[in-house]
Amino acid sequence: MRARTLWNLIRWVLSGSVFFLVWLFFSSETSLFAHLLGLAGAMLISALTYRVFLADHEAGLRYFFPNPIWVVVLIVRLSWSFYLSSFRIVGTILGGPCRPRIVHFRTRLKSDLARFALANFITWTPGTITLDLDDDHLTVFWFYADTAHRRLAGEKIKEGLEGILGKVWV
Amino acid sequence: MNPILFWAREVLALLFFLFFLVFGLSGLLGLFRFPDPWSRLQASSVTSTTSVFSLLTALLLIAPSWAMASRILIIMAFFMISSPTGSHIIARFLWFSGLPHWMPEEKDKG
Repeated sequence: MRARTLWNLIRWVLSGSVFFLVWLFFSSETSLFAHLLGLAGAMLISALTYRVFLADHEAGLRYFFPNPIWVVVLIVRLSWSFYLSSFRIVGTILGGPCRPRIVHFRTRLKSDLARFALANFITWTPGTITLDLDDDHLTVFWFYADTAHRRLAGEKIKEGLEGILGKVWV
Repeated sequence: MNPILFWAREVLALLFFLFFLVFGLSGLLGLFRFPDPWSRLQASSVTSTTSVFSLLTALLLIAPSWAMASRILIIMAFFMISSPTGSHIIARFLWFSGLPHWMPEEKDKG
């Protein structure tokens, strides 16, 4: 079998497995017929969409399969900073200080999925919104900017998130 | 269920329902208090993400069955993807439109 055909097959099976897992969680069905039907549906949707979800050029499983232990660390870390930022925004709404600014910085993450996750989590955390992600270059609207220095701004916004994401993916 | 576990679960759920209420109301207040779309987007992100996430966490804690809990988990996962995407689209449009963001007076700065 040619390498490209094998890679397409792996992508189809992997994305189909994820769809099937989501379907299992959502339906909570236990009968064999329901499982077979769900599997058939998941594989059909996967056949139509695996090119979208798993990019052809990322031929490494660590580029899109997360390390489960670090996913747990990421969720705990993210939830903590998420609530801290939310309380800070509430303080600003009630009359506290703020210093809005658009900042630019780079990320060390390599995989598309990790970069997308970083951009998404930056937006998800109140106080920062990602405006653009171009290759490894991020443009962020920062509500509490205390520096215009690229690298420092990047370190403050990413707050260790990049390091954890680098262990979840690459 | 162990009564201590039961009460701990109920109290935690109540705490997250309280967060839902506080962040939801603050976000709404921020929409009226902030002067421009950039900062209003920050207020609406508190409303949409923190309060809804708190609500879903509270519902997860008091879910009557594993089937229901798994559905709530899936909803949370989808929400974590879709909510920032919505905010990002609006912010990106603002950025490309060239609208300058609000700069608070010097005395307001922290």
